Amino acid sequence: MNEKRRYLPLKSTKELKRTMGRYYAFSKYHRFWGKPLGRKLAWVTSGAPVELLRAFKIHPVYPEQYGAICSTNKATAALCQAAEGAGYSQDLCSYARSHIGSVLRPDLAPMQGLPKPDLLVACNNICGTVLKWYEALARHFNVPLLVLDTPFLAGNLTEHAKAYVVEQLKGMVSSLEEITGRKLDERELGKQMGRSAEITTLWRDIRRLCRARPSPLNAPDLFIHMAPIVVLRGAPQGTAYYRKLKQEVSQRAAAGQGALEKEKVRLVWDNIAIWPRLFGFFRLFSERGACFVTDTYTGGWAMEISQGDPLESLAATYTEVFLNRSPEFRARQLIELIRDYNADGFVMHSNRSCKPYSLVQEVIRKRVTRETGVPGLMIEADMADPRAYAEEPVRNRVQAFLESLE
Amino acid sequence: MLDSGDAKGFLELLLEESALKGARAKERCPQCQFFGYFCSYWPEELVLAAGMEPLRLMPGPGSATPADLPSYTCSLARGTLAGALRGEYPDLAGVGFAHTCDTMQCLAGIWPDSAAQGRTLMIVPPVTLQAPGAADYYRAELKELAQALGRIGGQSIGTAELGQALELCNHIRRLAAELDELRPALPSQLVSALLRAGQVMPRREYAAALESALPALKAASSEPQFRQRVLVSGAVLEGDSVFRLVEELGGRVVADDTCTGYRHYAQPPGAACSDPWDELVRRYSEMPLCPCRHRGLEERPAYLAELARRRTAQGAILVIRKYCDPQAWDAVPVSQQLKSMGVRTLVLELDGAEAGGRERTRIQAFLESL
Ligand code: SF4
Ligand code: SF4
Repeated sequence: MNEKRRYLPLKSTKELKRTMGRYYAFSKYHRFWGKPLGRKLAWVTSGAPVELLRAFKIHPVYPEQYGAICSTNKATAALCQAAEGAGYSQDLCSYARSHIGSVLRPDLAPMQGLPKPDLLVACNNICGTVLKWYEALARHFNVPLLVLDTPFLAGNLTEHAKAYVVEQLKGMVSSLEEITGRKLDERELGKQMGRSAEITTLWRDIRRLCRARPSPLNAPDLFIHMAPIVVLRGAPQGTAYYRKLKQEVSQRAAAGQGALEKEKVRLVWDNIAIWPRLFGFFRLFSERGACFVTDTYTGGWAMEISQGDPLESLAATYTEVFLNRSPEFRARQLIELIRDYNADGFVMHSNRSCKPYSLVQEVIRKRVTRETGVPGLMIEADMADPRAYAEEPVRNRVQAFLESLE
Repeated sequence: MLDSGDAKGFLELLLEESALKGARAKERCPQCQFFGYFCSYWPEELVLAAGMEPLRLMPGPGSATPADLPSYTCSLARGTLAGALRGEYPDLAGVGFAHTCDTMQCLAGIWPDSAAQGRTLMIVPPVTLQAPGAADYYRAELKELAQALGRIGGQSIGTAELGQALELCNHIRRLAAELDELRPALPSQLVSALLRAGQVMPRREYAAALESALPALKAASSEPQFRQRVLVSGAVLEGDSVFRLVEELGGRVVADDTCTGYRHYAQPPGAACSDPWDELVRRYSEMPLCPCRHRGLEERPAYLAELARRRTAQGAILVIRKYCDPQAWDAVPVSQQLKSMGVRTLVLELDGAEAGGRERTRIQAFLESL
């Protein structure tokens, strides 16, 4: 099958590679520039309040994204085995396992592993795994571990939960002042939050352009082009990149140009991508004219940065992320996506690695179908570990699902 | 063996309740209103203060695969959900979840959709228990939960009600501590069964039965000379088979850090607070840690090391329920810590609580190596 003919590549991809290449080179050589400039390097979870770190001139590096890089570089299996050899169960999150594997065996790891951290910052708004993972890292590197505990929201954010997160943020400010030797500059924090708001708005706008029929982007585009919003949220290079991407996607939408040559079916994706099969898997859909016009995962970075007092705003923004919320909330989100993007169906990746994302999916699937009449397919795999992917059954299920939609 | 007929009767009652695990609870205590719960972080005191009886939900025998949970979910979640769907927990006024691991978070979320029994409630304790603001937050969460429970139980919870409930729970915890001290001199599976009974039967009845059985247990206890002394740590164990196997293979569980074992009762060091709400916060913030909570990097490994030292354990079995992330993570630093002080460790992965032939071989080899 000639993929090129069916699938329209984005011109921005070149710029994306340049932007990300620079970021990782900058990170890799941190030891040369970080020390003279007195700037620390932190390993942080994807849901950590990076604006605060940036206000302290800390350079953030994201092990979760690195987990995805390991996977697309086909290094995950070997790295996971290294971690498993050190006693980490093979049922643990494969981002965590592969990243720990890269710490233990940099020789097997892309870029020989990530540059060593001066501190670790974990926020448990996405899962409980990150706490245990970062505890393991803190023991290994013997560097400070800052944890932000954002209570799970069974309903709405309560006043006492918000106050608790604000108190912790204040504590984090003191710790960061001590670690960096800098005082918190409130104006700088405000500026960083403004920048984050700018980049998340751009990302949201780009995603919304996919409401057009045909959709200018397909899920693999979203997954690949989400890279800067994860690691460069609030950094000018990230914002500059998304301005360009928005321009290209707007042009496509205006010209009625779709990501697929002929879009027949519109789908919504739920959960992290299956990185080791990113193209192969989505091709099962694109070759039949099925386009994933939006998804819940990359949408997580299109959050609204709340207004008002900076610490209160950070507390609300980071506690209210979708993975920290009830199945009702998540079902409602999916229902709205199906409605707003005019989708004909949805596909859920039951992701062995990510329990908080996956264990509630079946109940959500039923509820969404009940309320929208739109069918949903469940595929069991793993976001990074190729050993969990069963080619044949997946192909058959996808085929049957798409036939049912025709 | 036991010499008092009464004590024997109480012991039989405790073992029977322990084996029933709450099945037929309502039939055995028609006047009780039971409220189901899952974790040791669920504040039983508040259920009692609301005039109800806390009943810890545990999976029945065999493996269960309810359609609403994927295969890679721990069997505690799968088994209890399947049990609820089969109608095994009728007559509950509600079910309460304490937010602990990702799995519990998800189970709490889907429970009302899949298996509603009365109301579903959730308390979200702080994870970083010593963080700034954690105590105030915890107190507010507990108060909110108290209101909800009061509405369900039809008895609003004031300081006096809470004080009484705390008194009862603390009395039980003292009795459990006495029993735990006898561990080296009693069959391992007996102690584990007796401790489980205290989570599934009406609490006053449990306290009275255990109190009456203790003197006879003390009299009957005798410390064997040639048994390998083992510490067992893990999450929920709804059966005694790990303990029984250790015993059958010539070992003795002298220290227990399982969630349904002594960790459920273990009190924090330090003096109690005079205000019952403060005491509730203190108890649940400072009791021995489960791997889902964080109080610095060293506390849990250090606690287990100290426990092993105090009870002169030669080896430790870390039981990990398949797909239980928090226990699996902690197995690494805990093993390292114990090994560094000369305590050998066996990481024993189990699908549920039942240890079978494969585990027998592994435990046997482990005990022989001690
Ligand atoms: S468990 Fe899920 S949310 Fe947590 S780090 Fe792994 S993939 Fe991310
Ligand atoms: S056994 Fe483990 S994964 Fe399962 S509910 Fe308990 S702590 Fe969570």
